[in-house]
Amino acid sequence: MIKTDVIIIGGGATGCGIARDLALRGIPHCLIEKGDYAAGATGACHGLLHSGGRYAVSDPIAAKECYDENMILRRIGEKCVEPTGGLFVRLPGDSKMYRERFLRSCDDVGIPTEIISSTKALELVPNLNPDIEEAIKVPDCSIDPFRLCMLNMRTSELKGGLSFTRHKVTEIVQSHGRCIGVKATDAATGDVKEIHGNIIVNASGAWTNLIAGLAGCDVPITLSKGSLVITNHRLTDMVINRLRPSSDGDIIVPNEAVCLAGTTSLAVQDPDNIAIQPDEVDTIIGEAGRMIPHFNHTRIIRAFSGVRPLLKSQKLDSREISRGFQIIDHQNGMYSIVGGKLTTFRLMAEKTVDTIMNAFNLKRACETAERPLDGQEELSGYPLSKRLADMTNIVCECELVTRKDVERIIEQTGTRHVGDIQHRTRLGMGPCQGGFCTFRALGIMHDMNILTTEQSVQSLREFLQRRFRGIRFALWGDQLREEQLVEYIYLGILAMEKNK
Amino acid sequence: MSVTEYDVIIIGAGVAGLTAGAWLSGQGLKVALVTAGEPTACLSTGCIDVCATDDDPLQGIAHLPHEHPFHLVPAGTIRQALDDFQQIMAAMNMPYTGGLENNRRVLSAIGTFKTTCLTPVTMQASPQNENETIHIITFAGLKDFYPGYIISRFKNASFSTYDAGASTTMGIAANFEDDAFLEAFILWLENQHVREDKIAVPAVLGLESAAAIIKQIEYRLERPVFEIPTIPPSMPGRRLFNGLKDHFRRKGGMIYWGWSVVGVEKTGRQIEAVMAESQGRPNSLNARAFILATGSFVGGGLEAKRDTIMEKVFHLPVFMPGEREAWFDQDYFSMNHGIGRAGIAVDSSFRPVGCPWDNIFVCGAILAHTEALKNGCGHGFAIATGQAAAKSCLEHLP
Repeated sequence: MIKTDVIIIGGGATGCGIARDLALRGIPHCLIEKGDYAAGATGACHGLLHSGGRYAVSDPIAAKECYDENMILRRIGEKCVEPTGGLFVRLPGDSKMYRERFLRSCDDVGIPTEIISSTKALELVPNLNPDIEEAIKVPDCSIDPFRLCMLNMRTSELKGGLSFTRHKVTEIVQSHGRCIGVKATDAATGDVKEIHGNIIVNASGAWTNLIAGLAGCDVPITLSKGSLVITNHRLTDMVINRLRPSSDGDIIVPNEAVCLAGTTSLAVQDPDNIAIQPDEVDTIIGEAGRMIPHFNHTRIIRAFSGVRPLLKSQKLDSREISRGFQIIDHQNGMYSIVGGKLTTFRLMAEKTVDTIMNAFNLKRACETAERPLDGQEELSGYPLSKRLADMTNIVCECELVTRKDVERIIEQTGTRHVGDIQHRTRLGMGPCQGGFCTFRALGIMHDMNILTTEQSVQSLREFLQRRFRGIRFALWGDQLREEQLVEYIYLGILAMEKNK
Repeated sequence: MSVTEYDVIIIGAGVAGLTAGAWLSGQGLKVALVTAGEPTACLSTGCIDVCATDDDPLQGIAHLPHEHPFHLVPAGTIRQALDDFQQIMAAMNMPYTGGLENNRRVLSAIGTFKTTCLTPVTMQASPQNENETIHIITFAGLKDFYPGYIISRFKNASFSTYDAGASTTMGIAANFEDDAFLEAFILWLENQHVREDKIAVPAVLGLESAAAIIKQIEYRLERPVFEIPTIPPSMPGRRLFNGLKDHFRRKGGMIYWGWSVVGVEKTGRQIEAVMAESQGRPNSLNARAFILATGSFVGGGLEAKRDTIMEKVFHLPVFMPGEREAWFDQDYFSMNHGIGRAGIAVDSSFRPVGCPWDNIFVCGAILAHTEALKNGCGHGFAIATGQAAAKSCLEHLP
């Protein structure tokens, strides 16, 4: 049995942020994640570090939080934030009244705006629809959510925090009505670990209610599915938002070599069962195409969905910190943190840890806003030319990942999952979606004696099924062509069987 | 604009187009071939898959669904076309092994066995099961070959690594064309004191001289040596393409390399010419008949739009396997994706069904209902339909 002080369930941005915060305040903790870090909504979002503009009209408190966090994350997370800046573009027919409210609200919140003419906007983003009436510049950024989680966990690791990925919490251990620990099953071996602690933080996002349910608690959330598509190159160097009340497909975010556009919003019941509908893809492309016409002709390399856990009611609890997120004390040693946004993950972590500290009458101030994220020194970050300088033995041509990078991740994490390498290096995230490089990455794992042949071929099989689920809804044009080639390579040239 | 007159113009330089072109040239016709670039044959294993659904490929063909275009090719033509192919490749010093009596197995780079019909002679010794003993040679830094995938599937296998001073299949293959390099490699290999019955090498043993190179290694090491096809770029695929291409040229065929067809000229029920573009200058290529052999999606003959599938040269009617949702199955490995059936449906003369022109003939992977991956009918199907379409074209030449 493992003993710790705080058990964190969930390795999304919030859970990882809580681990970092606890580490900096010297509190022993253990994070348990059923997949890999950023496997839920964190890794299935735009990768947008909001300026707050999007919420200025509808939710000024959330907008202010976004803006403040945006400023903090630029400072502490240099290597995972790209300060692209963002534009809110007004298309012919979009309400002028909303424009006025938008400007006024941004002003009230303190978000700096700059009105720019359509000519100037086209200079900044040449692919923009030339028919736009005008644009409003805001300090949006793009952020790499995978890297963000890894860097938060680095601090936890450096301070002796424990973490178990691919461990699913199957039971909350209780004694005299209090939660005293969890049982978690190792997905690879089936072994069950029992971990005891004084506090359990439920930061499991869309799975919040499933976890709370294990302790007989209920959390008032609804689940909303949002779908996104990825293009094979950067159509814009700035974040592009539509200047209108939030709606489907009104944000486009550049991220490394690609662009993400979305989202949609559909209520769902089961976070583990979220299929994309072909019409969602068409809606997003259509809407994105109104802001950047090229979107209609650009190759879509993948479509995916994430599930947002939304608070059911706004006036539930006096503990409510903002309309954006909420910390629920189940009065039995378990706290659930729900709602919020990727942009405000650090603040959510801070408030959660403050709550825990108060409960134990401990005093140590939060330091997460001041200290840069650990582990950034070894990251290259932008620009591309820097990454190209030392490029021998490239394994993934789309994202310029070398054999050395892959070996380093395997050594550091001892992982047996090709997905873990993807999240840490971007291997397989480019146009071919891992078509060539996965065979190589698994071959390298095999060379390093991490996997047996049976395991690597099984991994390859699972990878191809997973990959296919992501790209299946973006299959036409060149992406279909590439897909047919990849199918030919694996099922034809390599004669992969369905199952052995 | 320049105008050039041919008897037959073939669009597409893959196995089907080159087969049709060589056959028509052999009949004394003036033939030109227009291609936008290298064919998908260069990405292939170089093996000639006829039909892999049965140990006996002809039996396999007999049991294909009735709409499968293989049924349009008379058995005699299949046999003749494959015999001709084997003679051509032997004459080009890249002989092929095997025959229509039964399929063979070829060891893949992940240790599975691929079913095919004819194989390049460099794969003749490929083991037929996991009980054979093999020693695998790999090359330092070669990123597309991992012997580990194969070794643990075999009862008796080991490997050693050679530093070839190059890390791509193409680079290593080019080195093997050098006598001194080959000699150094053989000396090194002799020093490995290989005990296993056979020696396996990823398919990098030379560009054009692979058959001679492998013979020399076998002679010196006194045991069979065979190549394992790699993921693209693939040397055996490239050798196949070069062999067929050179043969076509020897027969007097003309190749317009790097020319994309951008338009067609037509009169009544006849196509008069295709407009091809090279470096932006349009050229009108006139002919009495046209053979479309542009391949499927990867080859570029078909293009999927969001809601429809187009044939890119003549805008011929395309058989579509339903709406976009029906193009792909949920299960990646089902081998049953609707998209495999997309293509041009033809009548028994290999002319497109519902086409307003009488002098277009179609062959190869662009044909509808082929399902190449599912049925294992790749290059063998291209060779057979290539010759069949060429024969029909000659018969109906206006």
